[in-house]
Amino acid sequence: MVTKRDREREKGDSSASMAAKAAKGKVWEEERPDTGMDELLAVLGYKVRTSDMPDVAQKLEQLEMAMGTTMEDGITHLGSDTVHYNPSDLSGWVQSMLSELNTASPSSNFDAISNQTAGSSSTTMIDFSNGKQLGDQCKIYNDDSEYDLRAIPGGAIYRSDKESDRGSGIKRMKSSSLEPEFDDSLTVAAAESARPVVLVDSQEAGVRLVHTLMACAEAVQQENLKLADALVKHVGFLAVSQAGAMRKVATYFAEALARRIYKIYPQDSLETYSDILQMHFYETCPYLKFAHFTANQAILEAFAGANRVHVIDFSLKQGMQWPALMQALALRPEGPPAFWLTGIGPPQPDNTDALQQVGWKLAQLAETIGVEFVFRGFVANSLADLDASMLEIRPSEVEAVAVNSVFELHRLLARPGAMEKVLASIKAMKPKIVTFVEQEANHNGAHFLERFNEALHYYSTMFDSLESSGLTQPNGQDLVMSEVYLGRQICNVVACEGTDRVERHETLTQWRTRMDSAGFDPVHLGSNAFKQASMLLALFAGGDGYRVVENDGCLMLGWHTCPLIATSAWQLAGGDS
Amino acid sequence: MVNLLQNGDVCMEELEEEAPMFCINDNEDVLVEILRRLDGRSLGSAACVCKMWCGIARNDALWEHLCFRHVSPPPSGVRPVVVALGGYRRLYMVCLRPVLSRLGRMRVGLGGGESDLVRRVWTRQEVELSLSLFCVDYYERLLGGGGKLTDAPASSLMFLCKTVNV
Repeated sequence: MVTKRDREREKGDSSASMAAKAAKGKVWEEERPDTGMDELLAVLGYKVRTSDMPDVAQKLEQLEMAMGTTMEDGITHLGSDTVHYNPSDLSGWVQSMLSELNTASPSSNFDAISNQTAGSSSTTMIDFSNGKQLGDQCKIYNDDSEYDLRAIPGGAIYRSDKESDRGSGIKRMKSSSLEPEFDDSLTVAAAESARPVVLVDSQEAGVRLVHTLMACAEAVQQENLKLADALVKHVGFLAVSQAGAMRKVATYFAEALARRIYKIYPQDSLETYSDILQMHFYETCPYLKFAHFTANQAILEAFAGANRVHVIDFSLKQGMQWPALMQALALRPEGPPAFWLTGIGPPQPDNTDALQQVGWKLAQLAETIGVEFVFRGFVANSLADLDASMLEIRPSEVEAVAVNSVFELHRLLARPGAMEKVLASIKAMKPKIVTFVEQEANHNGAHFLERFNEALHYYSTMFDSLESSGLTQPNGQDLVMSEVYLGRQICNVVACEGTDRVERHETLTQWRTRMDSAGFDPVHLGSNAFKQASMLLALFAGGDGYRVVENDGCLMLGWHTCPLIATSAWQLAGGDS
Repeated sequence: MVNLLQNGDVCMEELEEEAPMFCINDNEDVLVEILRRLDGRSLGSAACVCKMWCGIARNDALWEHLCFRHVSPPPSGVRPVVVALGGYRRLYMVCLRPVLSRLGRMRVGLGGGESDLVRRVWTRQEVELSLSLFCVDYYERLLGGGGKLTDAPASSLMFLCKTVNV
């Protein structure tokens, strides 16, 4: 099957290049009769109408692009599974391959839209569109009013001062794929645009992709769901033509938008596999390691001189943060203190006691390095369910308390009053230090569109940084799992609302205001933490891109000029030393 | 000693009786002293020479010396922790060598060989970072091995094993 495919591709190549040259020249169209079959291809056994030649050439180019950029797994099935009924109908089988490829490309684990084009095999679309016939869907595309992008308000896709026959370019769509035949005025518009557009690559398709995403979000904000639906499919098609980070980001955002449009939210609890996904994220890139090391440094400094210490961890997960702290405590000149750890985690769907297992492993480590260790696990659906009195905290003369949270506090903003309650409980614990690490972005704005744009910028940068570390690490699975981990966050930010939307990230400035008004004073993280963080980053391949920045006592880790996460430390106001 | 043979030729004879042949394998303490001065890569090669050299070269004390001989002041109280977490040889192979070679290269800007590592003074923070990563490595093996320790390097430190175009 491989050889046959190669042979066909070869022919495809030659006809594509030939047709491309011919189309540009526009000479031979006038010389040959319109209704005849192309003679040269007929010699090879393909029946293609001369009038169809430019279309076929275009499709072949797209097929080549798509095959080149689709992941390995996406194309192997083409060799064995695709059935071609009439191989001499070059146009037909290229089209069927194109639509098959689009079925295979996005990598989500949800049963969301995977076929983004209105190709002949768009069976998945029917499930989501309330039993609409395929014909209806094609009607959407042929309906000019939906597709005339000049109709979209706002400058996202089309600047009103640029007149062009964009409409006619789109109309040429028969029953098959959309041709992104926008003219160059769009690129000019993008360059002039004052919006903070993420231009990950300079090709036209990349710019169009971003603009289409933003236009789709605008349509969703305005409740123009028909237009949004059409645009989201277009995004899927454009995404296939991209490579690398841009494509993945676009795919995840398109999927999230589609979920929002069709109101299909993930049924399974997002807690399943979240620990595993976070482990892979931990291994692939330095963000979590940075978070752990900087928070640990602050805690270590706060614990100087204490003989009993108690850490309350709001985000225990697999407990990856604590071995390093325990080791640092063990090697203190005055010897290790007695170390109590209270870990808080969500209930597990399979009823296993994940917290106890983690506690057991940590205890083994502690015994190995000679640190007196006690572990307590608390299962809670939300941090707001906890009370300081439940945690058996001893008075501050006896033990020094630290409260730690990595990427957990923002979830409390989903329910009104929860944040205040938790901050009050933290104060009741009388901690020596409170450390938390949060994403440095505002994904909690009042309007959907601004959240969407912020998220698009943020996650594009994140995926970019993952991509660069992915180049030097052979373990592809880690990278994919990390992307799924981020993809879930994207889905939550874009598709969910109300108490379901838990990924309510806020910027450091916003957190500062909140902590200040809750009665906390900032603790500066110090140069030790900065040096250690810089060293840690220097170890990472692609380390050139990562930057540690000190921001008024807090440390931020970012990719090039864009800060992505921030660590900050706090103590009770009034100087509780 | 020059001998005059009957046919008039001159030949030199081995002076076997005068000084005993020095075989390094008979003098383990000298061997240890020599090996102590080697860098990590050479020490590893030395372990491949023969069984006896392997036994000596794998002695953790040698690797301890290698790890911290250029750290000033040498960290105290570290030994029980390091030994418990897997030993100095593992510390060197899994953490110290990659950490220091990467950081050294970044600082100097040249592709220094292993011997450069030996002469370089390691800062306290580099050592601390390596120890922390070593502890994380141990913990990950605990997590992954289901309670038992496996010998494979943990995934989170894989980034240290890969070559880097710095």
